[in-house]
Amino acid sequence: MSGDRKDEEMICALTADEHRALQRGLGQLADTMPPRAVWHRIREQADAEGLFQKSGSTSRRFWFGGAGLAAAALLVAVMLPGLIQTPEDTGIIVPQNLPTNTTELSTLQTLMVQSRQLESDLRSLPDEPRVMRASTVATISDLEGRIAAIDYQLNDPDVKMTSDDRTLFWRERVRLMNSLLQLRYAQAQRAAF
Amino acid sequence: MSKFADIQIDGGIVKRAARGDVRAHEIIYRAFATPVYSICLRFTKVPAHAEDLVQETFIEVMRSIARFRGEASLGSWIRRIAVSKALMFLRSAWTKRGQSLADDWHDVTEGAVGDHGVSNHPDDAMDLDAALANLPDVARAVVWLHDVEGYTHKEIAGLMGKTESFSKSQLSRAYVRLRPMLEVTDNNSQPEGAVVRSY
Repeated sequence: MSGDRKDEEMICALTADEHRALQRGLGQLADTMPPRAVWHRIREQADAEGLFQKSGSTSRRFWFGGAGLAAAALLVAVMLPGLIQTPEDTGIIVPQNLPTNTTELSTLQTLMVQSRQLESDLRSLPDEPRVMRASTVATISDLEGRIAAIDYQLNDPDVKMTSDDRTLFWRERVRLMNSLLQLRYAQAQRAAF
Repeated sequence: MSKFADIQIDGGIVKRAARGDVRAHEIIYRAFATPVYSICLRFTKVPAHAEDLVQETFIEVMRSIARFRGEASLGSWIRRIAVSKALMFLRSAWTKRGQSLADDWHDVTEGAVGDHGVSNHPDDAMDLDAALANLPDVARAVVWLHDVEGYTHKEIAGLMGKTESFSKSQLSRAYVRLRPMLEVTDNNSQPEGAVVRSY
């Protein structure tokens, strides 16, 4: 489906300019979001077919994951004073797994900070223009919907997550926020000229 | 041009989905629901049918994602499933009516585009949308697959169980119908009246 291969295709009955105009026009047609009920129907069918993980084993693994995270946090709390001091002073041997856990914790914190910064950058942009292309509105709405879905998962008290899950969801949130910011920034620039 | 290509999903979420994690599946659904629904609606024109096809597509994604090896992008993979479901739906509709794919043009009156009062303005998306909707189902599908999703005639022929000539002929007839919609503003790049034909 590369450009070279497309060049070999027949473009019949249209001039090259007409063909470009057609492709441009088709590309600008607005996308349509499905009704919200569709996801619920999919979920019900998937549940009925047993396509999702069983909640019992899931929660048990989350429980073990949570216990592991708590143990790691406790270890960090106990060892942290020793880590701050130089090795010559204390002679403490740092456990092999500690840097990994510390890295995980700091990755999560970094993502949270990045997310807050992106939200702040987004708020600092001028209001959305009153007239926007339908495709832009759909893309913004789509990104906001995806971010909201992640926020729902991260804030639901019934959802137990391991640190890996949490990092994954926060990373996805930062990526989507970044896309939203770039889109809104480009929009603000267009509106300024 | 395809909207599917612009959507990126973290590999970790795909792995979690492959293990049956409902939250990961919801993220994938939220990311791809709009392009999948749009393509299904474009093919069927009936929202209820498009919703059913979205459901079938994502159930298939859930059943098969453990076998997804990442050779193509996740978007291309999901698009292939959606296109296959939509074409299967169209084929079954034609079969029920006792028609073959090629009979489709008989249902559309000549000059249907003009009858809807469309303008010649090339950027008028509403008019192009209406003109596209007035094409026979199979021709509309071929135009969309070729000019938006970037499929070759060989690939379209494979999907429809037809020959490349069939795909080319459908596209050519559709272009003739859509041509009145296309007012070209930039005439510098091609000599006036030049028609590109490359077989």
